[in-house]
Amino acid sequence: MKYEVVIGLEVHVELLTGCKLFCACPNRFVPEPNVNTCPVCLGFPGILPQMSREALQQALTAAVALNCKVALYSYFDRKNYFYPDMPKGYQISQYHIPLGSSGYLEIEDDRGVLKKVGIGRVHMEEDAGKLLHETAGASGGSSMVDYNRAGVPLIEIVSEPDLRSSLEARRYLEKLKSIMQYAGVSDCKMEEGSLRCDANVSLRNPGEEIFGIKTELKNMNSFRAVEKSLDHEIKRQAGILDSGEKVATQTLRWDEDRQETIVMRGKLEADDYRCFADPELAPIQLAETEVEKARHNLPEMAGERAKRFVEEYGLPEYDAGVLTASRCLADYFESCLEFFNKPKEVSNWVMGEFSAHLNNAGLEADQASFVPEDMAELLQMIDNQEISGKIAKEVLEKAFQGGKKPRRVVEEEGLLQISDQSELESIVDRIISENPDTVESYRGGKSKALGHLVGQVMKETRGKANPQLVNELLVKKIDSQ
Amino acid sequence: MELRKTTVHRVAEAVLEGEITAHQLIDKTLKNCSVLNEGLNIFNAVAGVDATEQARAIDEKIKQGGELPLAGIPITVKDDLCYGVLPTSFGSSAFSEFISPVTAAVVESLMEAGAVVIGKTNLDDMGQGSTTLTSPGGATANPWQAERTAGSAGAAAVATGICMLAVESDSGGALRQGASHCGVAGLRPTTGRVSRHGLNAHCSSFARVGITAFSCENISGVLDIISGFDERDAATAVCRKGIPEIIKTPGSEDITIGYPVTAFDFLQPELREVFEQARDDFAGLGYKIKNIDLGLLREGLQAYYIIALAEASSNHARFDGIRFGKTGEADNLENMYFQSRAEILGKEARRRSIFGTFLLSKGNYGRYYRQALKIWELIRQEFAGVLKECDLLMLPTAKNLPRQLKGEVSFLDEWSDDFFCAPVSLSGMPALTIPAGQVNRIPVGMQLVGPPFSEKTLLAVGSTSGPRDTGTL
Repeated sequence: MKYEVVIGLEVHVELLTGCKLFCACPNRFVPEPNVNTCPVCLGFPGILPQMSREALQQALTAAVALNCKVALYSYFDRKNYFYPDMPKGYQISQYHIPLGSSGYLEIEDDRGVLKKVGIGRVHMEEDAGKLLHETAGASGGSSMVDYNRAGVPLIEIVSEPDLRSSLEARRYLEKLKSIMQYAGVSDCKMEEGSLRCDANVSLRNPGEEIFGIKTELKNMNSFRAVEKSLDHEIKRQAGILDSGEKVATQTLRWDEDRQETIVMRGKLEADDYRCFADPELAPIQLAETEVEKARHNLPEMAGERAKRFVEEYGLPEYDAGVLTASRCLADYFESCLEFFNKPKEVSNWVMGEFSAHLNNAGLEADQASFVPEDMAELLQMIDNQEISGKIAKEVLEKAFQGGKKPRRVVEEEGLLQISDQSELESIVDRIISENPDTVESYRGGKSKALGHLVGQVMKETRGKANPQLVNELLVKKIDSQ
Repeated sequence: MELRKTTVHRVAEAVLEGEITAHQLIDKTLKNCSVLNEGLNIFNAVAGVDATEQARAIDEKIKQGGELPLAGIPITVKDDLCYGVLPTSFGSSAFSEFISPVTAAVVESLMEAGAVVIGKTNLDDMGQGSTTLTSPGGATANPWQAERTAGSAGAAAVATGICMLAVESDSGGALRQGASHCGVAGLRPTTGRVSRHGLNAHCSSFARVGITAFSCENISGVLDIISGFDERDAATAVCRKGIPEIIKTPGSEDITIGYPVTAFDFLQPELREVFEQARDDFAGLGYKIKNIDLGLLREGLQAYYIIALAEASSNHARFDGIRFGKTGEADNLENMYFQSRAEILGKEARRRSIFGTFLLSKGNYGRYYRQALKIWELIRQEFAGVLKECDLLMLPTAKNLPRQLKGEVSFLDEWSDDFFCAPVSLSGMPALTIPAGQVNRIPVGMQLVGPPFSEKTLLAVGSTSGPRDTGTL
């Protein structure tokens, strides 16, 4: 690539508040349209908005988590435009003074070196409604509006044009998601729309100061789509520049099916939103102490948590890194410890079997019906030598999929480990008498032969025998013969 | 019972003591109403059966020992204030059947105290104006001289004795000029004193809900009822821990009235004489008169209009035929907006939206809107400074006599009628208008403007000046 890539990302994150930004309607997804609405979020004439303190608190937390300077005085502006997704004819947003500015987050660049990516602004705004277009019939199509989402609190996080590749863009998003999740302000599920991303991309010759002409990319529904559409767009722009042409200022839409970008609109249609301070809302005033408190109360982030996992639980750094990559998984791990306090064993099972099942099912740790109590119950049974590790894997799978308690799975399937000596003795005697050659070679000093005999007993008991006990019994019997 | 010649307190007492039932009172009022409405065009909707039912319910409450300080008092509500029982038109023919899901906070409070809403009163196109001349249903005639405008239909209703209190809105001076033109009293309260919940403001920065009544005493009787913190209006947060009243009592305390000498130079000589007389009368009553300087009135008027037009273009954007108003028939979205908005907004509202859009657009924001915000701040400082030198100041209310109903007048001339009211709106200070005198048998009002939350002082001073309308309707 002979050009330098310049990428800036604009990310919208839905906050996890109980209510909408300016009214008491629940901030919750429901499939039925226009249920979570009221005169405020429907923009009825004469009804005034009231800012949610909870939303402000979360936005403040997000701003300090992204190392931003916080404006002690800011206010909401109106972004005016005619479109049916906003019942008022304008969106309430922060335009002139954002709540947070001059922040950054850290990612590894293409060569694995830590680099700071600047965050220009973090501001609060309300979400718009959703339009549903029916395709035209004979009488022409119709469009329907669902205002459930109208007024849901968002924060918009605008990065500086500091990203130099699509991979960096992806890492930035992953890091941002982790920070927002750890800060407890958003679940950042891109597939569900609680994290949305637009990208600005341009190319320039290395060493050049001035940015090239940029295009804006929209409609990317996953981190993978962001990476792919950026790659596609970088290639497209490079082609244009190679041929000596100029890139046109455009807004492009990523088409997932066709795996290409499609022009939405050109520069001539650029909007003038006529932003001005919303006269119906009081300015947002914060005391220095409130900002300090927010910084002080900032929840532990992934890095700190990993460090703590190493120090507090004695986990290897690798385990700590894997577990804390997602806040959900780390929370799950720590919840398990409350019921079963053997960190390394819990770690092995959470990172291994449990995570594998999560990935297969496409779930996050908090969505699994196999809750931390279940994991603890399972591990306790291994610890009590009621089941073997091998059986435990089987139990976990069944419990994970069927939503049953592990102990119930064990009971129903008769998987309890046989630790009863008398029950095992007869099987051990039989195996010894059926395998005289193996017994001989054991006596001859081949220790491997004993393993074979243990395997035979385990096979006979369908894995339920307590392997340690079987081992002891075999040695005792052979030696005494 | 002649409502014009008595007080709210006296009428409520009569109802509470059974001299007259609320039902009888309202019945009589409604009859009166239909006769007078025909000539003056006061109402957009008359409550009729609803008012009668309300009155009956009040009689019932009184029987059960209910304490109702406004028992049976007939009130009117300007049609930009929501009232869940009658249609709220906002001043658009497209909303003549619109029933709001809410009732304005002030109306709620008054009704809880026993007042009965008898109707919704006429207003300018989308509530934008101080004349009613741009009303889609035609102007309201002045009860004193029917070929002129009343300025505000609520004031006309009070002046004719149809109601005792009119709930009004005031941005650039509609409430005050209406009261002035009809020879009655009107109060525009301090920012944040009275909840605006339920008011469809064309200009949120300056819109206030106030009361017009026949006397200052009648306004005093309801001020506490409508004042105070309301979580539905963020601006009332200043009253969260009680209302920070500034009360001075005329007679027992020295009160200085500021007289902005140069302001009166903008008036026709015959109007000017009225105010000079009023000033001398105040001096005669023992008030100290102090000449002061208000130099920014003209700039204040301009700043008011820039901000008001800008806000209107945004506040009225929701009237686009999607959620609100009839949906225009068209083959694409843009044409649908054209159709819908042409039907919903009248000529004046369209003009204001277009100007407002222009003023906020790229480049113009800095040239006009930001400048207007600076003037706004200067006006605030100027009024605050002046009110350190005196307890209150007097100003004309309207720049001109009420407009002729049939005369041709340019919109700029009409806007300049707000010359003395709009700057006061920018100051955020409370303003009381009371009758100052007459010119050719047409009432002329003056404003008393005081520091924030000095309404009780203004009303006390206003009532000492006595009923100045010597003539009769």
